[in-house]
Amino acid sequence: MLEWQPGSLYDNIDKFATSLGYENAGIAITLGMIPWESTDDRDAFIETITGDTPKGGNFTNYNSQF
Amino acid sequence: MGGKGSGGPNGGPQYNPANVSAVGGAGQSGKQPTRYISGMPYGQGQKLMEQQKSAPMSMPVAQKGEMGGFAPVEPLKNLRTLLDDTTNPLEPSSTGIDFGRGAGSSVMPQNLVQDSRPLENQAIVKKYLPAFANAAKSKNAPDSFKGFVNYLVGKLNA
Repeated sequence: MLEWQPGSLYDNIDKFATSLGYENAGIAITLGMIPWESTDDRDAFIETITGDTPKGGNFTNYNSQF
Repeated sequence: MGGKGSGGPNGGPQYNPANVSAVGGAGQSGKQPTRYISGMPYGQGQKLMEQQKSAPMSMPVAQKGEMGGFAPVEPLKNLRTLLDDTTNPLEPSSTGIDFGRGAGSSVMPQNLVQDSRPLENQAIVKKYLPAFANAAKSKNAPDSFKGFVNYLVGKLNA
């Protein structure tokens, strides 16, 4: 079964969809498909465009190995 | 006539199968080559060939790049970035928004004013929902992602 991984496609989409709002699914998925250098880069971008900290899943609900 | 050694292959470049022009023989005359267009009614193809020969078209100048390659038709030399200074300093920065100085959203092009997100979301649901639903079932998928998938499912039923 698929395990949730930070920085994966679905994790990116989760961060963008939750940070930008579900109604902006189109742009959230497009931005989620960008091969971000790191989760920090991605989160910095989200902070820049929203002026807020990234929302979405975090370490508490990821796989316990993280 | 027809002495020994004459008439046979001489090993010239025409025998090399790799000796093929990169531009298909269309690169030296400065004119577009005549091409036979198949699939036309009987006699039409030959007629078109004759028309092309009688009035050859010159090669498009913009596509001739240096080193025989192809250059972009319109180089993007003057493309500006978001961080460049404005080219219209007298226009208020809030132009196009329904608050602040300047004209409101009525001056924006219709395709920017119209909310196309519902249509986009419908297309996304059809394309990606099966994969997203599968990912939402994965171990430790965050609630926020499950909520997003539920939102898309709601759009499917809408």
